[in-house]
Amino acid sequence: MTELLQVLVTMLFFPAGLFLLANAMFYQWIDRKLVARLQDRVGPPWYQPLADTVKLLANEEVLPFGVNKWLFIGLPIIGLAGALTTALYLPIAGLPPAYGFPGDLIVTVYMLSMLTLCLGLAGANTRDRFSMVGATRTLTQLFSYEAPFLLALLGPALAAGSWQLSDIMAYASGNWLLLTQPIGFVVVIIGLMGKLEITPFDAPEAETEIVAGALTEYSGRGLALFRLGQWVELVIGLTMIAAFYLGGIHNPLDYVIKTLFPLLIIAGLQTLMTRLRIDQTVGMWWRYGALLALVQWLLIFLMGGGQ
Amino acid sequence: MTNGASPHKETNLWQSVLDRLKLWSRKHSPWLIHFNSGSCNGCDIEILATLTPRYDAERFGVQLHGSPRHADILICTGPVTRQARERLLRTYEQMPNPKYVIAVGACAITGGTFAGCYNVIGHIDEVIPVDVYVPGCPPRPEAIIDALVILLQKMSTNGPKIEEAVS
Ligand code: SF4
Repeated sequence: MTELLQVLVTMLFFPAGLFLLANAMFYQWIDRKLVARLQDRVGPPWYQPLADTVKLLANEEVLPFGVNKWLFIGLPIIGLAGALTTALYLPIAGLPPAYGFPGDLIVTVYMLSMLTLCLGLAGANTRDRFSMVGATRTLTQLFSYEAPFLLALLGPALAAGSWQLSDIMAYASGNWLLLTQPIGFVVVIIGLMGKLEITPFDAPEAETEIVAGALTEYSGRGLALFRLGQWVELVIGLTMIAAFYLGGIHNPLDYVIKTLFPLLIIAGLQTLMTRLRIDQTVGMWWRYGALLALVQWLLIFLMGGGQ
Repeated sequence: MTNGASPHKETNLWQSVLDRLKLWSRKHSPWLIHFNSGSCNGCDIEILATLTPRYDAERFGVQLHGSPRHADILICTGPVTRQARERLLRTYEQMPNPKYVIAVGACAITGGTFAGCYNVIGHIDEVIPVDVYVPGCPPRPEAIIDALVILLQKMSTNGPKIEEAVS
């Protein structure tokens, strides 16, 4: 009975449920506020992501002509669920992860990709041509950043000699991998931006050319869930970066400070740069991103990090 | 047409709390879609100026969206030409309920300088219902922000449909 209760609490409140959603909205607000301040604006009030989400949930959901109804309704749920699940293996808010098994690093990374996959399928499911183009671009981008992102996340895993998140975090909490693996840090931050389709990599949802990409036909609930999923991914990604590269996470205060640091970098890059074309994105990732991650691996091996 | 907030039926506490939450969220997150049905582009430039950092409409939660499916407020400019009429209607119909319309500029209200042209059908509210009118040729960004604020206030009262934002 108590075990069931514990599972329910882990799933619904902490770390995977309501707490993570609230956390995600908060970080989304910080991101928007930072960008606004960097652009010399006032920016939205703190409840903005909450108001957006509630409004979208309360709005009508239009079911466009010619879609598969079950896919249209189900894909946002699956995508958000995938993003939420990853929180079970991560030290959200500085507390030890709820679950763990050897190899959960790989599971986490692929759970994170599920949202992107759902987004691509959702775009391909509708008959709208903008959605189609958006879906193609989403999936193309998935194939370009995924490999360097994974390679960069495997750097700490190699150094720690384990593919289990808790082992890597135990290893990383002693030494700041930002100092020993700076290239990996850069690749993983930019990889996260690619994953979240943040500005230099927002060709898949470029509103000036393809309306809203894969989400063009989504309104109300579906749109809200997809957006929530992306915000959750931001928190998960920041947590991973903090736990791997910034000397581990020991307590809630530590968590906030160490996750806000990469967020600041991301917001700065977001303000500084303009959109890359999709072919430029792919070229950049495969020509430089993957290569840099491999150079990082080589350095780890040379320095005798990988046992 | 389901314009305006859902009517407040005091059925039970839960319902009224939900209604209030919905109303609150709607008032704090107005997403726009911009449609030009034949204007000279002067009003469009002013709308874009409203969204620039100088006026920072994001303070009110305003975001410009490309897809009518994401938007709550259709902000349209210019008289309605024969070509644009069907597109305007279609854009309006693609928006999810509840939806609102702001007509910006003299042309949008009366046809303005284009009234009577061979290719012009008329003004905006001959085609779709309009909630707030913003006079001016073109109106200043302050007037457009004022119109937005009036619209947001109107959401809570099921007030009269036609109201004028005076710049
Ligand atoms: S009101 Fe004036 S500025 Fe606006 S569309 Fe008409 S002529 Fe142009």
